[in-house]
Amino acid sequence: MKEPSDEIVMRQVADGNLDLLKVLFNRHHKHVYNYLYKMSGDKMLSEDLTQDVFYKLIKYRSSYKNGSFVSWLFTIARNNLKSHFTRDAKHHEDISVLEYKSVENRDNKQEDYSHLQNALNKLDAMDREMVVLNKFQEIRYEELAEIIGSTPGAVKTRICRILKKLKGYYLESI
Amino acid sequence: MKKEHVIDLLPEYLDNILPETKSAAVEKHLSACTQCQKELEELKILFKAIADEPNAVPSDRLRNRFEKALELEKATTTKVVSISEGYKKSSWASNMLKVAASIALLVASFQMGSVFQQKKSNDDLAFVQNESLQLKQTAMLSLMENQSASKRIQGVNYIEEFPNPDEAIVKALTNRLRYDENDNVRLNAFEALSKFTSSETVKTAFIEALGTEKNPSIQIAIIQALVQIQEKKAIGPMQKLLEREDTQPFIKNEIKLGLPKII
Repeated sequence: MKEPSDEIVMRQVADGNLDLLKVLFNRHHKHVYNYLYKMSGDKMLSEDLTQDVFYKLIKYRSSYKNGSFVSWLFTIARNNLKSHFTRDAKHHEDISVLEYKSVENRDNKQEDYSHLQNALNKLDAMDREMVVLNKFQEIRYEELAEIIGSTPGAVKTRICRILKKLKGYYLESI
Repeated sequence: MKKEHVIDLLPEYLDNILPETKSAAVEKHLSACTQCQKELEELKILFKAIADEPNAVPSDRLRNRFEKALELEKATTTKVVSISEGYKKSSWASNMLKVAASIALLVASFQMGSVFQQKKSNDDLAFVQNESLQLKQTAMLSLMENQSASKRIQGVNYIEEFPNPDEAIVKALTNRLRYDENDNVRLNAFEALSKFTSSETVKTAFIEALGTEKNPSIQIAIIQALVQIQEKKAIGPMQKLLEREDTQPFIKNEIKLGLPKII
């Protein structure tokens, strides 16, 4: 691999080479954005939250601890999304608040969703998040386990079950 | 040999992340199991849909704002670095500067303190002076009402304490001048008032006193004062005084001398 890995780049950023953050932004901002969009179904919100994720990357660069960069990045993104909705909903219901939110968004804003997105929306938020991270943003089981605080084996089994469910919803709709 | 279904391995099989031995086992099972074949086909459709799902593209605003934030962070960071370098280079000079600054601060705060102290004591003094002035005024006014002539003179002479007497004091003095039975009190009152001839009350009092005053020395003093301030309203009463029979000849003389000076 001729380009340095995310982890090496991020370590240099943490040491003060801020310009390298642009490299990481270029590599990942679309993934973060798409994750947030798949989860919230709101383009403007996703853009703002992505913005915020990278602000935090700038601000907390020195707290990066040599782990997988992608896990770290998506942990921040996930927390951002969660705190946005808990702040809005004013009560702590974990990420499950997204379920209602996503449906609401579909009704209100009438964004043009694909069959697949509609099938995704039928999953509960936790399942949707896992399948989005794994299948859409290509985050490996090991990293996903790190993000949600589980083991790779458990994640694998779970993804498998979710995919089966999603497949059912998807085939129904087409 | 009955084999387990491989449905749980299919996602990994499609993603090509199964170890080769397992992958071969899955293929072997698939060739014999229609149920798993169907499952695989369906999963392929789903995976194709996922692969074909267009990625949403964020607007340029996102990149612009990110780069702006990054520049801002860089600016603040470099600033911090340059200050700390400058500090290392000239730590001796900057230490001296710090010492000088603290001395200056000490001196300045001492000065400030003394200024405030002074201001405060000035305020206190002004308050005390003001209070004693009021006390004197009360004393003066009550002394002037005293039965004893000498006390009344003492009261009148208190006027020297007041550079700018107020209306109550002037009124009390003019009353002394016009109505006091004792010549000396009236004379003292006149002398006190003669310092404030610019006041209209005083002028009016002089003119009225001119008509009523019987003591020649006071009459002459009043005439002289009025001539000196060129009071035109005094001309009438003076001429009346000239026509009166009981007016002393030397008074008439004084008036005759003074009148032309007024006109």
